[in-house]
Amino acid sequence: MIQIITRENRGLFRHALTEMHTQRRKLFIDEMGWGLAEIAGLEIDQFDCEEAIYLIDMSESGRVLQSARLLPTTLPHMLSEIFGHLCEAGPPVSNNIWEASRFCPAPDTPKGAPRRLLLGRMITAIMETGLLFGMENVTFVASAALAPLACTAGWRVTSLGPVVRTRRDRLAAFSAEIAADGLARVRARNQLSAPLTRHADPGLKRAA
Amino acid sequence: MQAALAQCGISYVACASHVDPLKPPRGAVMMVNYPQAWLAHFSDSGFAHVDPIYWAAGWMPREFWWDTFFATIELGREQKRVLNEARECGIVGGMTIPIHSPGALPASCSVVPGPDGVDPLDIPDIQFMAINAHEEARLRNGGSVNVPPILSKRQRECLALAALGKSDGVIGQILGISPRTVEHTIEEVRRKFGVSHRTQAVALSVVSRLVSLNELSD
Repeated sequence: MIQIITRENRGLFRHALTEMHTQRRKLFIDEMGWGLAEIAGLEIDQFDCEEAIYLIDMSESGRVLQSARLLPTTLPHMLSEIFGHLCEAGPPVSNNIWEASRFCPAPDTPKGAPRRLLLGRMITAIMETGLLFGMENVTFVASAALAPLACTAGWRVTSLGPVVRTRRDRLAAFSAEIAADGLARVRARNQLSAPLTRHADPGLKRAA
Repeated sequence: MQAALAQCGISYVACASHVDPLKPPRGAVMMVNYPQAWLAHFSDSGFAHVDPIYWAAGWMPREFWWDTFFATIELGREQKRVLNEARECGIVGGMTIPIHSPGALPASCSVVPGPDGVDPLDIPDIQFMAINAHEEARLRNGGSVNVPPILSKRQRECLALAALGKSDGVIGQILGISPRTVEHTIEEVRRKFGVSHRTQAVALSVVSRLVSLNELSD
């Protein structure tokens, strides 16, 4: 089940969010050596905020399997602040466009098929969330490894600009269309027959 | 501060000098809401001298979570006992922010999250509150900020080498000056600090971060 975590219900998910930031530190700082800031063992950057929507894939026992982040493009986000040069016509900004970033499989997930499976689930969850929240497009920056997987997932993807070489990778920016037919294709490719996402009622805590 | 931290999901906080919490010396900071039973036990057992959290906070450069940190360190029997007995009182799974304030008693601020945990976005605020609360309380208690003397490059070199245990003769050889000049230089620093023995001057210059011991180690 992939939990949609918003400002309203994040109080129910403090442990899961802490685990997500811990996994991001293990993957992006410890393993991949990205020069990101770490605080109390957590990777938290300038874009993490209450306005973001976090998608956290959890096992039945509550283990965090993977996570990703959606930022409204009307606030500072990665394409507007860091990767603007990847967008030929400038970063797309609108109430209906969100940016996906920080795709993070649990660091103990084996590479290859298990991680591809997780990515397929996460793209499905982004589509479901997008439809639920009235998003029309989701932008993202992809590395050489991620780009082909993200572009053939079943949603309609357009390139926003050239592939740019960095010291350790090749990066490009894309925009994916959020639409019901795309969701159907993504679900079919991942052999999913039912919605993956849940949005927990923030009133639950009071009821409990 | 306690109310603000409680809003962030923190149940217990100990923003305190590393001393006996029930018999704090003058100038100690003691903002603690740990259960009274634990504080009494801590005080009776003299845990201030064995607490591994105090020990780690004395030298760790930044914040640490007890569970992950102590999993990487071999603790003695006494230290484990403190952690186990704290756990029995509900003091468990906390994070400690070391406070390195020259001139203050060794201190730290520990926070223990309640069962719902802490929102990760609140962690920077929690750290900020902890560090400021300590310094504010210290100054309110009559603590002061001591302005150390300004040392010359030659004085810093002599002090750093003296702190590394070198004799005046050896310091002189390393710096290419006479032992008498070394003695005289350290004597100047002693007078600047207004203390009666050169060892005190060496200690004060290290504690006040006027010299760093690795400066000359290569």
